[in-house]
Amino acid sequence: MVATSVHGKRLTDCARGKSGEVAYFLNDIIAGKLMAMGVLPGSQIALVRQSPLGDSLYVQADNQILALRKAEAACIVMK
Amino acid sequence: MHCDEVRPIPGAASVDRKLSVALLGNPNSGKSSIFNQLTGLRQKVGNFPGVTVDKKTGYIPVDAHTTIKITDFPGTYSFYPHSEDERIVVSTFSHPGDENYPDAVVYVADVTKLEKHLLLFSQLMDLGLPVVLALNMSDIARKEGLEIDTERLRTQLGVPVLAISGRTGDGIPALKNLLSSWAHSLPVARTSFYQPSPQEKQLIKPIQQLFQGVSDYQALLTAHHYQWLPHLKAKEQEAVEEIVKEHHFQSVRSQVEETMLRYDRFTPIVRQAIRQGSAKRNSMTQKLDAVITHSFAGPIIFFGLMLLVFQAIYAWAAVPMDWIESGFTALSQGIKTILPAGWWTDLLTDGLLAGLGGIMVFIPQIAILFFLISLLEEVGYMARAVFLFDRIMQVFGLNGRSVVALISGGACAIPAIMSTRTIGHWRERLITILVTPLISCSARIPVYTVLIGFVVPPGKVAGIFNLQGLAFMGLYLLGIAGALLSALVFKWILKSREHSFLLLELPEYRLPVMRNIGMTVWEKVKTFAIEAGQVILVIALLLWALASFGPPGQMEAAEAAALKMATEQHLSEHQTKGLVAAERLEASFAGCLGKLIEPAIRPLGFDWKIGIALITSFAAREVFVGTMATIYSLGDVDDEPSVRQRMAQERNPATGELVYTRATSFSLLLFYVFAMMCMSTLAVVKRETKSWKWPIVQFTFMTALAYLSSLVVYQLLK
Repeated sequence: MVATSVHGKRLTDCARGKSGEVAYFLNDIIAGKLMAMGVLPGSQIALVRQSPLGDSLYVQADNQILALRKAEAACIVMK
Repeated sequence: MHCDEVRPIPGAASVDRKLSVALLGNPNSGKSSIFNQLTGLRQKVGNFPGVTVDKKTGYIPVDAHTTIKITDFPGTYSFYPHSEDERIVVSTFSHPGDENYPDAVVYVADVTKLEKHLLLFSQLMDLGLPVVLALNMSDIARKEGLEIDTERLRTQLGVPVLAISGRTGDGIPALKNLLSSWAHSLPVARTSFYQPSPQEKQLIKPIQQLFQGVSDYQALLTAHHYQWLPHLKAKEQEAVEEIVKEHHFQSVRSQVEETMLRYDRFTPIVRQAIRQGSAKRNSMTQKLDAVITHSFAGPIIFFGLMLLVFQAIYAWAAVPMDWIESGFTALSQGIKTILPAGWWTDLLTDGLLAGLGGIMVFIPQIAILFFLISLLEEVGYMARAVFLFDRIMQVFGLNGRSVVALISGGACAIPAIMSTRTIGHWRERLITILVTPLISCSARIPVYTVLIGFVVPPGKVAGIFNLQGLAFMGLYLLGIAGALLSALVFKWILKSREHSFLLLELPEYRLPVMRNIGMTVWEKVKTFAIEAGQVILVIALLLWALASFGPPGQMEAAEAAALKMATEQHLSEHQTKGLVAAERLEASFAGCLGKLIEPAIRPLGFDWKIGIALITSFAAREVFVGTMATIYSLGDVDDEPSVRQRMAQERNPATGELVYTRATSFSLLLFYVFAMMCMSTLAVVKRETKSWKWPIVQFTFMTALAYLSSLVVYQLLK
């Protein structure tokens, strides 16, 4: 669920518009906050687009839309 | 024994009973809308995380002796807080002795996203409070074809469950009935939801011995949050720390595991109770966002919208502002003709009424701005603007949300500062509040108009661009640059223990509920008129007194001398009146003050007369033109062209040189670009930051910035 070494693709490395399943998170604090907002291991998540300077990401997670910073999205590892 | 089923309500023995109910839920749960429906009091509904900053309270009367007090808490995702707002919730609910600790809780959840909304609910169930689960947005759920088995949820979760809608009012009477019955006999809360791990259990026991009457989960929360919980005394904090260290308790780790276990338990319950419909969800939002949050089209749409807002504030507010101004002028002249002349008539008209007028005149701008901003919030646009600009604003220590405040500041800093409440991060909000008044507001326009001609000659560049128009734009850009650079400095000085997150939920676009917008506008206007108004009124009265009274005998002497001079020079009645007013002002305390500060402002190229204008301008910049009119004895004339004409003729009595040289005028312009000369803004900053510290800091840094830039420009140009 939470690990220190990466076995899989991070959300930031995923192709745009392609939905995948969350495997685990790399950072416990971000994990806590994401899970409180309903993003869990097993959630379907897709990177939809970037903000003008590219640091903010528009993400579809299950049936809701989230805005994440790149650093935050890089903590999400996909199956 | 049946008596176990109910417990007496605090104060039930006395004649009047009061049930204290907390309204709790995630951001975007529509909680504030339910609050409006329940109490009819003014409150803001958030399509935007972090709207409910202050504690809002409302009352529902049950019968002659019973009332229900409802407190609306800030939207929170869990009892593991990430902002000051969420901390308020945790510090209240983890401490049964807290003054806001409720008797019961209405938990509001968005039924279309029930799973994630149940996390905080499940935490709440472990506190031992009676809870009702209110499934909000039930009207939207029906449209989307969601089938909800409320009976199943009730038996599985063990609490009353009601389908309601803050939008249509469905289910509100049922909720009120339930609360009324609780006001007479409160049910005992059922068992807890979460089974603590063996390690957590080892912590809970000794902490419960420290704090009488806390539930297992409250003890666990104390172990997580002892470092900042405000009710803990230093001794208690040490004791908890010892327990936590002894058991090698890892707070973040344990929090993540607890959250997982909670989801594991309630997710199957939700899946069984809710059947997804076939209707495609949020497809409309997806289509709109493809354009609105597009990396190229998005910013264009944003600036287009802001231009519209700005335009609306200028164009629509001008007419009612004129009415208010002329209304107050007419009223004050009417009173002057009815009442006999005397200092108390002056006090009533020039002090009290002028002060009141100064407050009221801002109301149209505030109302229009808040109408448009809450409209954008209600439909869900604001969160998109935050998404678009978060990165750029971060560079300056600000937040995506700051963009809205900075642009509103172009109309008036007061509503702009009030709109920063949507910024959750305290440092980012504070910096936004501190730098917003550097954006040139509408009150600077008359000052710029009068002075710009002394600096830049009329004429055109490249045949098209009006030179003075360009200078005008330059002053605005100077203000923006000043705001962003000061923000950088504050970012460097101020430290924050809050981790800055974006992690923002973008709600679905929804049609606005006009009632909610109306309540927001009403609340903002009322707050401004009453709270900021009190301070403005005091300052206006003080200024009036300073300009109307002088050291004993001085003003009378000045008036006699002026009258004598007028007779000698055969001045007309109108000119005489003007001369008398000017001489009296010079002899007044305000005049004395002008002379007193003259040595300090001399290096900027200002004389004592400009000094008086500066002093009066500290109440409000727009006073500048009127003060100039009085000083240069123009009588009642205070339109900009005549003031300008008179100023152009003004010469230094000692040297015979023109006073308004290019250097002095430039210096004065810069002073008005940067200086904090608006008492109303300072009053609002005090209210929003809840201390005098920040308005003082703001006043000091802006005045220093103004002084230094004026000094440099004058010394270079003279």
